[in-house]
Amino acid sequence: MATRAAHIVVMSLLLFGVVLAGCAKRPATTQASAPAPTAPPAVSSPPAPAPAPSPTPSAPSMAAPRPAPTTAAPRPTTARPSPKEFVAIADLKDIHFDFDKYDIRPSDAKTLDANAAWLKSHADYLALIEGHADERGTNEYNLALGERRAKSAMNYLVSQGVQASRITIISYGEERPQCTEKNEGCWSKNRRAHFLVKPR
Amino acid sequence: MIRRRILAPLALGLVLVLAWLAPWSPPPAPRAQGVEVFLNVTGGGAKKLNIAIPEFALLGGTDPRGTAKLLASVAGKDLTFSGLFSVVAATGSIPPNDIAALKEAWTAFAAAGAHAGVHGLLALRGEQLEVEMRLYDLTSPEHRLIAARKFQGTVAQARRVAHRIADEIVLQFTGEPGVADTKIAYVLGPRGAKELYIADYDGAGAAPVTRNGSINLSPVWSPDARSLAFTSFVQGYPDLYRVFPFERRPLQTLAAFAGINSAPAWSPDGRSLAMTLSKDGNPEIYVLNVATGALRRLTRHAGIDTDPTWSPTGRQLAFVSDRTGTPHVFVTDTDGANVRQLTTGGFQTQARWSPKGDTIVYTQRQDGHQLWAVNPDGSSPRQLTFGPGSAQSASWAPDGRHLAFQSIRLGRSQIFAMLLDGTPPTQVTAGGGEATSPSWSPRLP
Repeated sequence: MATRAAHIVVMSLLLFGVVLAGCAKRPATTQASAPAPTAPPAVSSPPAPAPAPSPTPSAPSMAAPRPAPTTAAPRPTTARPSPKEFVAIADLKDIHFDFDKYDIRPSDAKTLDANAAWLKSHADYLALIEGHADERGTNEYNLALGERRAKSAMNYLVSQGVQASRITIISYGEERPQCTEKNEGCWSKNRRAHFLVKPR
Repeated sequence: MIRRRILAPLALGLVLVLAWLAPWSPPPAPRAQGVEVFLNVTGGGAKKLNIAIPEFALLGGTDPRGTAKLLASVAGKDLTFSGLFSVVAATGSIPPNDIAALKEAWTAFAAAGAHAGVHGLLALRGEQLEVEMRLYDLTSPEHRLIAARKFQGTVAQARRVAHRIADEIVLQFTGEPGVADTKIAYVLGPRGAKELYIADYDGAGAAPVTRNGSINLSPVWSPDARSLAFTSFVQGYPDLYRVFPFERRPLQTLAAFAGINSAPAWSPDGRSLAMTLSKDGNPEIYVLNVATGALRRLTRHAGIDTDPTWSPTGRQLAFVSDRTGTPHVFVTDTDGANVRQLTTGGFQTQARWSPKGDTIVYTQRQDGHQLWAVNPDGSSPRQLTFGPGSAQSASWAPDGRHLAFQSIRLGRSQIFAMLLDGTPPTQVTAGGGEATSPSWSPRLP
């Protein structure tokens, strides 16, 4: 939408502020070329709008480069077997939990007794216990809740004589539901501890 | 200095304007003689400043992509989103370097109820653009110039330039920049394969940050807006990592202990990360010195402790604990002393301390989930969202006035943003998949 003025006056941006200041009767126009000190930095080197995941990272022009933080990340204290190496077997049954609970229900103790018996008679297998939550909590809390459920199941197995060193636990929180309908029948299936094994 | 001198009388003027300004009746759209500006007055909340932001005037170059229009439109939406302004819609532009035309336009806009006017001047040179934003006080008889600022970038960055213009305008009227030049990180995916994404605060330009095919959760921006801490199962177990989305830098492992490594929260100075670890038996809050790797345990309790969040002073943390049976919000000093319970009854998680310090938002189980807020002393618990559908995973904008959150109000989970005053939320994400766990970035450097 060019205007008559725009047609006539085509000049350097460096100049137009001055020219306008000359034309205008307002005293305040002198600010035009003198941004207040509180003004945010000019957008002369903005970061690329799209973050770049892949082979071509976006222009790292966001800020003056600083030395990378020397992150001495804590190392795992124990080596962890890959969860992918474990498989579910029919002999080991899931147990389930009440909403927001991680204590073992009496009816599930029998299932755990059977699981413990199997593990004790198969000493050449290692076990992985997955803890899960339904979707009604929130992500981070459910991750903690799943951890507590897996831990409860592990503690029970250990109390039944399974060596603690044979058991690894992992929490998936609400991230791996067995059932995705939004009703109690489904949620109750998702609040579970799941057992997997792999040969030593 | 200049700004402050101007602000005082203008702010006073605004108060006066707002005091007497009744919801005025929109006049028929006048067409100012000789000025290609059309006013269509929309909205006009009596408590907001009416601002005119016509299409930017082209000073040089050609504008095949409609950048002049885009700048005005994006900045206008930003100003509306700020909750402080009602944009007086217009089509056309005010010609540059034409005092008479400018005066005519502002007179017409003022008559239509505008209190302030933005004259945008755009010069295009190939892919480069330079914009000058001139902000006028239309309540003063001489249409006083409040501020003039220049912005540069590429045409591809036009949206970002517009966001900066809007943030500058908010700064001029409030003393604090707006939050349009920010990003929102979030999790996108079906269950079982969740990747981190980043979009502009208004949802534009969404792009993936991770592509590992694993489950990635709980992204949180570092205070310098350069990196995100997050939980990922990429190595099989829930561990904590740090990614630099704008830089060519490898993923950093922050914590990979046995058990869960989750719920990251940056300290305000960016030196420490609070997190939940279960390496010592059950989920507890720890504080990691990111540079040295030193780890300090903060909570000692048999229950679940998670969802840490720092006060802006860095002297206190709020967190979630089920130590009384169900999860509630607690506050502790950073050394672990003075633990006190903030919320009672019900089921509360996801505590998030406002960057202004005055409010802690949390997720309450109620009709699914709803967001609530409480003062840091435990007083005035109050509901913030009322459906439809649930709302959870709040993240504060740096102004402490806006929140992003996830909601299933439209079926699939999407990210929304809202003001704390009850204004209906605006939708941020609209793509496929389930968008969850937003993290609103600090203002970009």
